[in-house]
Amino acid sequence: MSARAGPALAAPATVWLLATFAAPFGVVILLSLHPHADPFAPLFTQPSAAQFRAILTDSFYLRVILETLALGAGVTLLAVVLGYPVALWLARMPGRWRPLAFAVILVPLLTNVAVRSLGIVLLLAPDGLINQVLGAFGLGPIRGMLYTHGAVALALAQAFMPFAVLALYDVLQGTSPRVHEAARSLGASPAVRFWTVDFPLSLPGLRAGVMVVFLVSSTAYVSATMIGGKKVWTTGMLVWEEALQNLNAPTAAALALIMTACSIGFIAACGFAFARLTPWLAGRPVEAWSLPARLVRALDLAAPAAYRSLLAVALALLLLPLVLVCIQSFNDVPQATAAGFRAFTWRWYEAVLFGGAYVDSFRLSIEIAVVSATVALALAMPAAFALVRHRFTGLTALAGIWALPLSLPLVAIGVGMLRLLQLYTALPPFLGIVAVHVVVILPFSIALLQASVQQLDRAQEEAAATLGAGALRRLAFVIVPGLAPGLAATGIIAFLLSFGEVTVTSFVTTARTITLPVRIYAEASFSLEPTVHAVSTLLIIVTILALAALNRAVRLDRLYAR
Amino acid sequence: MSVTRREFGKLVLAAGAAAPFSIVRSARAQPKPGDELVVGIWGGAQERIVRQHVEKALVAKFGCKVSYVLGATPERRARAYAERGRPSFDVIYLNIFESRQAVKDGVTQPPSGTVAQFANLYDIAKLGGYGVAFNPVTIVYDRRKASRPVRSWKDIWNPEWKGRIAWPVYPGAQGTAGLLMAAKVWGGSEKSIDIGFQKIRELKPFAAIQQSQEQVLQMFDQGVCDLSIEFGSVCRRYAETRNPNLEIANPVEGQAVAMNVACIPVGTRNQKLAEEWINLHLSPPCMLAYAREIYYSPTVRNIEIAAELEPKLVLGPDVRKLVDFDWEHVIRMQPQWSSRFNREIAG
Repeated sequence: MSARAGPALAAPATVWLLATFAAPFGVVILLSLHPHADPFAPLFTQPSAAQFRAILTDSFYLRVILETLALGAGVTLLAVVLGYPVALWLARMPGRWRPLAFAVILVPLLTNVAVRSLGIVLLLAPDGLINQVLGAFGLGPIRGMLYTHGAVALALAQAFMPFAVLALYDVLQGTSPRVHEAARSLGASPAVRFWTVDFPLSLPGLRAGVMVVFLVSSTAYVSATMIGGKKVWTTGMLVWEEALQNLNAPTAAALALIMTACSIGFIAACGFAFARLTPWLAGRPVEAWSLPARLVRALDLAAPAAYRSLLAVALALLLLPLVLVCIQSFNDVPQATAAGFRAFTWRWYEAVLFGGAYVDSFRLSIEIAVVSATVALALAMPAAFALVRHRFTGLTALAGIWALPLSLPLVAIGVGMLRLLQLYTALPPFLGIVAVHVVVILPFSIALLQASVQQLDRAQEEAAATLGAGALRRLAFVIVPGLAPGLAATGIIAFLLSFGEVTVTSFVTTARTITLPVRIYAEASFSLEPTVHAVSTLLIIVTILALAALNRAVRLDRLYAR
Repeated sequence: MSVTRREFGKLVLAAGAAAPFSIVRSARAQPKPGDELVVGIWGGAQERIVRQHVEKALVAKFGCKVSYVLGATPERRARAYAERGRPSFDVIYLNIFESRQAVKDGVTQPPSGTVAQFANLYDIAKLGGYGVAFNPVTIVYDRRKASRPVRSWKDIWNPEWKGRIAWPVYPGAQGTAGLLMAAKVWGGSEKSIDIGFQKIRELKPFAAIQQSQEQVLQMFDQGVCDLSIEFGSVCRRYAETRNPNLEIANPVEGQAVAMNVACIPVGTRNQKLAEEWINLHLSPPCMLAYAREIYYSPTVRNIEIAAELEPKLVLGPDVRKLVDFDWEHVIRMQPQWSSRFNREIAG
């Protein structure tokens, strides 16, 4: 293999990020070095560490940073514990039901954050579902469940669980049935097979899921704001408040960079821990995992019930917004977040389908998402191969750079872009937004595809090469079909992330590029009407149909699972 | 043809002298068919009303095109500041406390008589741009939970509300009003705000800190809170359609003024069109639509309101009762007060 192959594969993603992300990121760094807030100050000033000093010596800021990291870790744990059974369920699902199951998992990504938050409120409120159930047994009500770290963690776990599930799904799919047969023939019970076969082999997917969920949850601020009721603080909320409400870009920039540094530290620790757990990926010898006999008996006893309970809780949490969104889309109330059904109406669907503006925004969002997801996949695939199959100087640094947009709060990227607005608005508006969306979704795509590439069976490629297949034929007939489930999962996530992106888009939007989320966000800035529920319901139906079509064209499972 | 160095210098000087004139001339020139006016505004009902009652009339008169950049005020304001002097907007809508500072910062123009309806504006609506809607902030509460009606801002400190209040987040129109009114009724002012913070601290623990009108209505729906500080207009619609137990107080000290303000950014290329747009926004059809659909009160005097709407709006003498503040001072202190609020009240 040529020594230049690795850098060549890494080049497209790197060049894209240098062209589109380096400038706003540079602006954020320069702003963080301003001594004080002045919205009209030139970008280049005498560098000062005043902002960093102020933040690092302020107990309030330090507490918020620590709480944000703890929240990110808690959400990640919750998403993994609930996501694992769902990923197993999905991987074992018969092919014909898979599109529907995929749609269930994607419901949180298809519904507006206001709807998801309403779901959590209806669950945890003093008059909510949990208290009603408790009341039936003569217990409660418990009044303090909302506006707590636990409530925010639950809301974020619900929103980000799909990332963990899809990252795990592909690697669980990739475990050959022969391995299971071998374990079964050696007398391993289902619980033992899971802990000694499935779990270790799924660690690359778990790593991707943990990284993505931690980074998105530690930079989130909309759900935290809506469910935390300002009793829960995250750095994302502080960055937003300083940058936009106080026009204090330097403090916002410094906070964002400190948070980024913490996130990178977490990712590095995570990478180190997973590398220790998966020595076989680096070609190092490994001993089979074994479990003490007493633990095996306990697991055999408890595992089936635990699996079913966790799966039920996870699916209920995923489906909660779906139920709400469908009911609310026919509810004749003036505000989208109104609880309680008042009267049946079709008028929100009429507004969406015949109101003109929604349809235009919907079409534009679809176009942008299709182009952005395609570009992101085209850039992420070679990058994932570079990470998995090549070793060259600077690879670790490059991997860090690729993850940067994910670890920087999106609102900080938006603030950086404000200073470069003339540059972005000089581009054709469609291209400007695609450039930004690819930056946002590329790190997810690389992280998810990296796990998929690790699962590829290289023996098949070697066999094809031995039989005379050239590089292109191997790519078309061995690699791409082998990667199909991973590409499909990553493509869906990339599409939905682009389709739903609003934080950065709202900074670069122009009069001619009002995407659907920007329109909904603008509506929410005054009063959110139930049209948003009609949009979500239509989107869920379209997704189920699109996934069914996709499942016919490209099988969502691996070759040897068929 | 050859140009000497001296002639070249004269040409450059002449071009430099003429450049500002050409900018001013193009900005003041009569609009041409096909010109595009870019308006930064909130979405939802507000977008619908201006499309119906402002855009149609403007397009019919000038043959121009109107485009909207929809979004929330913080993003719009941050963008206007980033583009100072070379704006992509021709008209932007801000809140009262941001609009006056924007004029002072050279981001937007002060209002002037070039907008015909300027003469009919209430005085309070003539600062920092053109006030287009009063939307005062007051106390709202669940009447079933009150031992007696709320008639004063001081009633918030009645012990019966302890632990049942959703205090509005600061900054924001409602949170700003809450803080300033707390200071005012307890002997302070925007210039001596300490008493405001101290009295709000006394109200802790709060049932929640509310961050938007959507959220507070949800809190009333779910029994999370029984009292809050919010826009009366939105709450009135909520009370009529969803929760008849919600009472909108009219405190003796007055309601805190809040106002949507239409502003023309400095450097707009469509000055005349922007002025015409605002004039149409201030015209009776648009004012009445706002009053009818979302209970926003008119900011001009030359308007007749239907009798059934009158009790739901702030009109005539009631406008003088709205409590106003030194908004330039308020916005200057915002970062400091925001930091204090986060640490002392919300955190």
